[in-house]
Amino acid sequence: MDFESLSADLRALQQRALDEASAAPDPESLELLQIRYLSKKGEITTVLRGIGALPPGDRPRVGAIANGVSEAVKAALGRREAELHAEVQTLRLASERVDVTLPGRPRARGTLHPIPETAACIAEVFGQFGFVVYEGPEVEDDLTNFQMLNIPPDHPARDLWDTLYVDIPGHLLRTHTSPGQIRVMQSTRPPIRALLPGRCFRYEAVDASHGFEFFQVEGLMVDEGTSLADLKGLLDEFAHALFGPRKTRFRPGYYPFTEPSVAFDVECLVCGGVGCPACSRTGWMTILGAGMVHPVVLQYGGIDPERYQGFAFGMGVERIANLRHAVPDLRYYLENDLRFLEQFR
Amino acid sequence: MRVPLTWLREYVDVQLTPEQLAERLTLLGMEVQGIEQWGADWRSVVVGELLTVEKHPYADRLHVTTVNIGSGEPLHIVCGAHNIAPGQRVPVALPGAVLPGDRRIERTEKMGIASEGMLCSGDELHITADAEGILILPAEAPLGRQLSDLYGDTVLDVDVKPNRGDALCLIGLAREVAAATGAALRWPEIAVEETGRPVGERLRVDVREPELCTRFVGRWVSGAAIGPSPDWVQMRLQTAGMRPINNVVDASNYVMLELGKPTHTFDGAAVHEGTIIVRRAVRGERLETLDHVKRELTEDTLIIADPQGPIGIAGVMGGAESEIGDHTTEIAIESAIFDPVSIRRTGHRYALRSEASLRFEKGQEFRLARIGADRVTQLTLAWAGGSVAKGRIDTAPAEPDPSRLAFRPRRVSKLLGAEVTAAEQRELLRRVGIETEEAATAQQIQVAVDPKPLAVPAGEDQVLVATVPTWRRDLAIEADLAEEIARVRGYESTPAHLPDTLMPAYRPSSLRVREMLRETLAGAGLTEVVTHALVSSLDEARLVWPEDTSEPAMLGNLAAQSGDEIVVTNPLSAQHSVLRRHLAASLLDVLSLNERQGRGDVAVFEIGKGYARVDDAPREWTRLAFLMSGAAEPASWNRTARPYDLDDAKGIVELLCQRLGLPAPSYVPDSRGFPFHPGRALVARAEEGPTALSGRIAEMHPDLLARWDLRAQRVIVAELASPALDAAVPARVRVEPMPRFPEVERDLAVIVAESHTAAEVEATIRRHGGALLRGLRLFDLYRGAPLAATEKSLAYRLVLGARDRTLTEAEVDAAVAGVRSGLESEIGAHLRT
Ligand SMILES: [Zn+2]
Repeated sequence: MDFESLSADLRALQQRALDEASAAPDPESLELLQIRYLSKKGEITTVLRGIGALPPGDRPRVGAIANGVSEAVKAALGRREAELHAEVQTLRLASERVDVTLPGRPRARGTLHPIPETAACIAEVFGQFGFVVYEGPEVEDDLTNFQMLNIPPDHPARDLWDTLYVDIPGHLLRTHTSPGQIRVMQSTRPPIRALLPGRCFRYEAVDASHGFEFFQVEGLMVDEGTSLADLKGLLDEFAHALFGPRKTRFRPGYYPFTEPSVAFDVECLVCGGVGCPACSRTGWMTILGAGMVHPVVLQYGGIDPERYQGFAFGMGVERIANLRHAVPDLRYYLENDLRFLEQFR
Repeated sequence: MRVPLTWLREYVDVQLTPEQLAERLTLLGMEVQGIEQWGADWRSVVVGELLTVEKHPYADRLHVTTVNIGSGEPLHIVCGAHNIAPGQRVPVALPGAVLPGDRRIERTEKMGIASEGMLCSGDELHITADAEGILILPAEAPLGRQLSDLYGDTVLDVDVKPNRGDALCLIGLAREVAAATGAALRWPEIAVEETGRPVGERLRVDVREPELCTRFVGRWVSGAAIGPSPDWVQMRLQTAGMRPINNVVDASNYVMLELGKPTHTFDGAAVHEGTIIVRRAVRGERLETLDHVKRELTEDTLIIADPQGPIGIAGVMGGAESEIGDHTTEIAIESAIFDPVSIRRTGHRYALRSEASLRFEKGQEFRLARIGADRVTQLTLAWAGGSVAKGRIDTAPAEPDPSRLAFRPRRVSKLLGAEVTAAEQRELLRRVGIETEEAATAQQIQVAVDPKPLAVPAGEDQVLVATVPTWRRDLAIEADLAEEIARVRGYESTPAHLPDTLMPAYRPSSLRVREMLRETLAGAGLTEVVTHALVSSLDEARLVWPEDTSEPAMLGNLAAQSGDEIVVTNPLSAQHSVLRRHLAASLLDVLSLNERQGRGDVAVFEIGKGYARVDDAPREWTRLAFLMSGAAEPASWNRTARPYDLDDAKGIVELLCQRLGLPAPSYVPDSRGFPFHPGRALVARAEEGPTALSGRIAEMHPDLLARWDLRAQRVIVAELASPALDAAVPARVRVEPMPRFPEVERDLAVIVAESHTAAEVEATIRRHGGALLRGLRLFDLYRGAPLAATEKSLAYRLVLGARDRTLTEAEVDAAVAGVRSGLESEIGAHLRT
């Protein structure tokens, strides 16, 4: 054996190994080639056994060639392995193709009722101006619901509230959230900025715009200099927050528990102020009633009307929700037909 | 109140268009709720002149007429009325006309004669009350003119507020118009020509209740002839929404609309001995009122009587017997002031509230008693003839001076938040008839009157004294004058200003926790509902949801939430006659409604109140309830359907506990049966801290579903109580450091008799696991071979660890062995590892 034939053998071996590697059909045959050529008992090692017969000067050269062959075979096997992996992966991915346009797996999500949602929205707006939430009882006494609000028994203004009475002497179902004003004033001292959301009741036949149960939000602010101008500024902010930039109107109203009393209108949301059936052709929609708290009411609240003055406002939550969501019929709210409720996504 | 503009213009000049006027009145506080075109429904009705009137050849009761309508050929019209004659001018409905009530007029044939239209009665046009004869128009009515051009009107519908009884009449609204426009007010000229004997010879008045009838003015007219009022009067009354009756009653109604003074006219012949007595009714007295209802009078009713008995309910309605009839000639006129509260109570007591009583209830200007009596007498004389007895009976002829009210202009400015000078304020008040002067002496300021009067010394501020017109009974305190100043000035000129005073102290909002829970529940697939608090008493009886008092432990630190039903004493319907104590029945109703709409998959929740009475005091509490029925996961192309079951409901309760920072709830079976499934009902409880939560979760009994006519096979309902629903703040999270030493997991399969509940097994494991047991989770439940039929296997994963070291194998083994022997000895379990 001489250097020439040995190196020729190695080169032949390399060629054969490379050919076989690139032809290997699967990872298992690559494994076999690895063992056949590169293991301790592999063909390269076998060829190198003949190195002892060479002159000592040639041995390193053969060793170098053998290393080169070994590297080349290893690289070829690696390349082929990567190729095979890529082929397999491509096939797998191709087989896993789905119709991505199919709908997803449904997640059940419920909806929130527009009445509490609207009340929360109102509370959020006034909350920014420091109004904190109180809640009063729904089974009220006549004293707080009427008399302390400057509505004595047999006062003609009682006609404004058709009342449902209960079998507890002196009690009724509150006809408005306004008695909450008295309860707040009696339980805290000025400065007062209070918001009172809640359910109210009236003796009223049900139709598209009336119900015997409904919801209101009452507001009350009392301090030394709280004025009608503060009320106007605040209500303007509120209207803009809920209905966007549109004109508002402040005009005289009537409530026994406020003096002066106010009705607050916004430009009709349907016609934008031109006049349409929704606004009785006036171009305006009334969204709430308000006024400066009557001195009698302040006194019943334990507040000195000479030192303090304040305003109160009250609005129907359904009214606000109707305007915001174009709900055509008040009866929808307490009926709870899912076809209605599920629209409030 | 309906305000015909032609009538209003008698008292004040109006240059504005109806729309402009409506806006001005609205901005002045007299809200115009509608503008109606009176006569808009007389389309194609024109003035015609009768040329000929002849008997119909084939029908005795009909006439054949020719009518000139000013242009074209005369029309041939068949007519059934008998009051027509050639030369008269009449309203002619041309073919194609549409009359009130959507009545269409066409060319027709009547008994063989063609008729090219119709001659109209006042009633057919809703102009007068006469349905018998054709409406005869004045001779100067221009031929061919549309009737609506001549008699049409614009009517404003004004919402007069309860405090402004003075404006519930044309004069009152004319005053407001005058204030708004600066025009002058014109009072009608009121003068009575008295040609009869002194009134005292005809009429005596005895007021026995001077508190309830503070003034009674009486007059007498003799020899009147009862008949219809002049057409123009009838037209006015019709336009204002009042039906004409006869000339005397119309005079009384006309004055009520004109001056706001209700009066009453009696047939003088029916007033025995010419004596009117104002007194309370005596028990057992009866009266047939004008509406021909015989009424038993109660003792507190103020009545008008003669010596023989009642002839009217004071201020509310007259008696039928003394009604002005066709043959009446003697007329007694009553113009009185009654106590508003008494009238209001009487109206309510007899469910009889008239235009008159509504005005009395609001209080009457004192001098109107005299003015009203004169005006009714004047109009009666003009329209029904006769002679007026000399003078009037007047039980309180002294008319009080206008009251005076001191106010501080600076205080008014402060209330309005706008600088309005004293001079401006005086000028604004003057426009509504309120004169002012500088206070000459120290004044008390009336800050409040009844029911809680308060007067304070004026102090250093400038003080003005206002003279309040006698008709403005609503102006009693300083703030009332502030409102007058504001409304005449225009609310629009109030500056808008954001409050810049001190903020109140922080207060947690009850809405915040509820919002969090609502969002959580919606996220978990439940839809929020809001149902009626008023329910049928049958509903609660039908449901028999157990009283919470029977489970005192369940309430934990909550106040008792039970008691007797609160019943509405004047319910609108039996369906809504009691306040609910539980929400569950309402949710079953929601399911029922949606099932009827074809919706079987229903998962809903409500946060609402329960109500009850305890010792005659009301009690209210907030509850959270939910209901699940149908598919929890509806079938989809990528999923099979899964129905809701009890575990879903428990999962929701566990989720709520997590949101409230509570430990997992414990469950106690409730096997009471109806209304619950006897094997699928429980009480859940997570009691710790101020947000404790407790309540019932149950699958409902099939018999209950049948009572509700539900199609659903399974319905799960939960009703929960927690102080968190009423503003309690959930416990704050306290972070524990992450474990520094590794934890070890061990699985245990516990085989126990069916009689032992999972809660028992878990409690036993926890008891014996000690401090090293840091986590425990049930991951499998198995029944079947090789287990005995009476057994089940519960597989738990235990997490063991210590804060300060890594547990040794021996420690872990010892801990698990402790759990194992505890399970074996206490509940007879055997274990597979
Ligand atoms: Zn509009």
